[in-house]
Amino acid sequence: MERLARGDREALAPLMERHHTRLYRIALSYLRDADEALDAVQEIFVKAFQAAARWDPVADVGPWLSRIAVNHSIDCYRKRRRRRLSEEPMPETSADHDTRWSAGAPSPESVVSGREVGQRIQAALSILPERQRAIFVLRHYDERSLPEIADALGMSLGTVKSSLHRAVARLRERLTSVRA
Amino acid sequence: MKLFHGRWRERVSLLAAGAMDPAEEAAVRSHLDGCATCRADLARTSEALAELARDPVLTAEVPVPLAHLVRRVQARLDAPPAAPAFRWSYGATAATATLAAAVLALAAVPRLLERPAPVASPGLASTEAGTEATASDEVVARMERRLSRDQAARYLDEAQDVLVTVAGHPADCERDHRRVDVGEEARRSRELLARRALMVELGGDEVASARPLLDDVEGLLREVAALPACARADSLDAIHRQMQRRNVLMKIDLLTSELRG
Repeated sequence: MERLARGDREALAPLMERHHTRLYRIALSYLRDADEALDAVQEIFVKAFQAAARWDPVADVGPWLSRIAVNHSIDCYRKRRRRRLSEEPMPETSADHDTRWSAGAPSPESVVSGREVGQRIQAALSILPERQRAIFVLRHYDERSLPEIADALGMSLGTVKSSLHRAVARLRERLTSVRA
Repeated sequence: MKLFHGRWRERVSLLAAGAMDPAEEAAVRSHLDGCATCRADLARTSEALAELARDPVLTAEVPVPLAHLVRRVQARLDAPPAAPAFRWSYGATAATATLAAAVLALAAVPRLLERPAPVASPGLASTEAGTEATASDEVVARMERRLSRDQAARYLDEAQDVLVTVAGHPADCERDHRRVDVGEEARRSRELLARRALMVELGGDEVASARPLLDDVEGLLREVAALPACARADSLDAIHRQMQRRNVLMKIDLLTSELRG
């Protein structure tokens, strides 16, 4: 990171090697589209390079990148939501978005099953307020500890705990009602 | 015991999410031993989280080789910087308003100091003064027009945010899936309506071409502002249908681009 902060582009590759997969999963958890998530990862690293000079050397780079990833994914998600609302008819359900996956070459059955699970989870996540969703994504998809999430999102630990609890409770109710 | 049970529910959620340190976890497990309600709660939450653990996103791999992604980032950094999308913040608008006020004041000062000319003496000096006054008026008028356009664009941008959220899928109210939480959107709508009243006074004819859309948006914001914090989902659907019938979101996109030049 120190090299990156000095504008050394050669430092990008090792940083990307360590973090690109997890940042891709954060973006994918919001966007549910492989191409859009890939574009998002590209922009996350561009933003990280451009902001590297302002990076605090005592801070851990992981949560810092996660924060950029969440913020950028929320921006992309909002833009897409606006675009779809202005271009498309009202959806019948919240689970009718395109979903494309990129997890190797799974069997057709597992693709269908994975897509169904993904759609159900996407619909459930979409009901969460932005703050709860960001906290849940960092915990569930990025496996960040609660103090790391608090640090990444600039919140108190108490807020992170109560928001994560509310997010989990809402997801539970949503997923249970869908199954029922 | 029931009075404090909400605290245990939060801890049970965090335990199920694997987000507790060992000391906290031991305390919760000890409570679980004597509390059937919390055990059932933990079982239901764990079941839901097990479904979330099947999300293919958790095992998704980046679909291109790392070297390709690095090249894409490098190329993006080499590209000439695009003009940044200009977004009006409260600070920027306040600064513009202050600047406009300063220009207005500067334009007014010569008039305040102006004394009746003792003799009408058409000449070069008075012609120059007249030209300067006209030029100042033009600058002021141009700034006022700019300010009106920016205010209208920002108002529409923020109104679009509210309407998109309302038309999307706001969160359910606690324990009631037929109602949705729009408290924040109703509050923002009321703020925007207050700003709209001010903007029309300030904008005058400058925003006249935008008026039909502004009226549509105002009507929709009034409906959102009138919603209770925990509103019926059908009420939101009705607002969404109106938005679609009048193509409001698309018109906002077009008009804000036009207003920002």
